[in-house]
Amino acid sequence: MINIQDIRDTARDMLAKGEARMVIGYRRGTRGMLAEPAFITDPAQADDLVWDPTCFNNLSLYLVHDKKFLAHMRENPKGPVAVVAKGCDARSIVVLLQEHYFKREDVYILGVSCEGAGVVDERKLAPLLNGERPSAAAFDGDDFVFTTAAGEKRLAAREVMADRCLECRAPYPKEHNLVFGEDKTGRQLEAPFAALERFEAQDAGQRWDAWSQHFDRCMRCFACRSVCPMCYCDECVVDSITFPVTAGTTAEEKATRIKWIERSATRSENITYLMTRAMHLAGRCTDCGECERACPVNVPIRMLNNKMEREAREKFGFEPGASIGGPSLVATFLDSDPGQFIR
Amino acid sequence: MSEPQADFEPKIVAFLCKWCSSAGSDLAGVSRIQYPANATPITIPCTGAVSPMYILSAFNKGADGVLVSGCHIGDCHYIEGNYLARRKMHLTMELLKFIGLEPNRFRMSWVSAAEGAKFAQVVTEFVDDVRKLGPQDKLRKVVSQ
Ligand code: SF4
Ligand code: SF4
Ligand code: FES
Repeated sequence: MINIQDIRDTARDMLAKGEARMVIGYRRGTRGMLAEPAFITDPAQADDLVWDPTCFNNLSLYLVHDKKFLAHMRENPKGPVAVVAKGCDARSIVVLLQEHYFKREDVYILGVSCEGAGVVDERKLAPLLNGERPSAAAFDGDDFVFTTAAGEKRLAAREVMADRCLECRAPYPKEHNLVFGEDKTGRQLEAPFAALERFEAQDAGQRWDAWSQHFDRCMRCFACRSVCPMCYCDECVVDSITFPVTAGTTAEEKATRIKWIERSATRSENITYLMTRAMHLAGRCTDCGECERACPVNVPIRMLNNKMEREAREKFGFEPGASIGGPSLVATFLDSDPGQFIR
Repeated sequence: MSEPQADFEPKIVAFLCKWCSSAGSDLAGVSRIQYPANATPITIPCTGAVSPMYILSAFNKGADGVLVSGCHIGDCHYIEGNYLARRKMHLTMELLKFIGLEPNRFRMSWVSAAEGAKFAQVVTEFVDDVRKLGPQDKLRKVVSQ
């Protein structure tokens, strides 16, 4: 069981001694029980930090933001940023390090083990609370305890846990500078890829029926892209809109600028977007689940990522976020890669 | 799924490596080998240069089938381009199948510059297979007439 006071003390110490220029963690939000990202630079604020089942944000995203902001400001402050990272978040950091997005010494990983639990899925929780709006959530062994106006509500964690946490193979930040909580890797709440396999058991027609509706629903808000730490490109291939057309833009420039995808949120364009997104995240997505949580229209985006993750694992023996030094999935190959599909 | 149509002529987009399959298609031509004219060739420098986005984009813009063809394993002019392509294309194909696209709409082959007959055979078989599936309307952009 993690004692939050340990995390607070560490954060306060690091800031006071100048060992970190900022601590990114979670604090109580203003929306009911939900925690929110906190950017702490003043040691006195370290006591704001919390650790509870609503800490679902993948904070490595803000390492990317920080780096972009500093580049924009042309600043180069000294000292690492300390960041609270769950298992999946720490794997995201490993992917960013693997891609040389920043250096290992630029980040100080305050790993937190999810132990026997994980984070809550609000969509699973809502129907179990009879309309009560919880004001706080806490870990307690195998349970989550929610505080509502009507009193405390204790629920088995696995009933309301996010799918990705149920299926998580490594709820422990292997890469870390400091770690809080015990390593419970190997806990089996649900088989990895369980939801994916249930879906794949259907025939192609049924799969298309389901996905065509998901693609129709997507409204291309790009929340899934914004929330992903691995979607850090300054210019995204799906944004032909970022090509500034000015009075000086020649007809040739306009004509040769490839437009891969239209901005309209129609099925065909949404397919191109979501499929490209899944491809670009193959071997990089660490299944933090943030894209799916952020989607306002319940597109099961994780399933596409999971499909790529399982292919990578089974066919290429590749595990995203496993090692900083290794090559990336699509920049490497093995003689044993499947080729039977090629004529 | 769309009904097979008697008068349906599949549109195939064929990404052909300039060092091998593209030359193979030339050889098929100069050897006067008969094969269906449904494939629109797009010459690429190497299969390793094929982005999954090319394939998605071809389907998006109305292709009924997409073929990627390059040098045999070991013969790539950039040494490992086709090894990398094999991996990327496997992932792309699996993703397309996953959302329910018919597997026969995507094909990959190794055709060397000396294999004119093989090129003709690959295209013939592919066109046949795609013809059976009818028009591809899953990923196609709908445009007003
Ligand atoms: S999948 Fe969801 S989050 Fe992503 S762009 Fe579409 S509507 Fe937005
Ligand atoms: S694609 Fe989604 S689940 Fe994967 S790392 Fe990005 S936000 Fe997390
Ligand atoms: S040069 Fe032909 S596949 Fe690489």
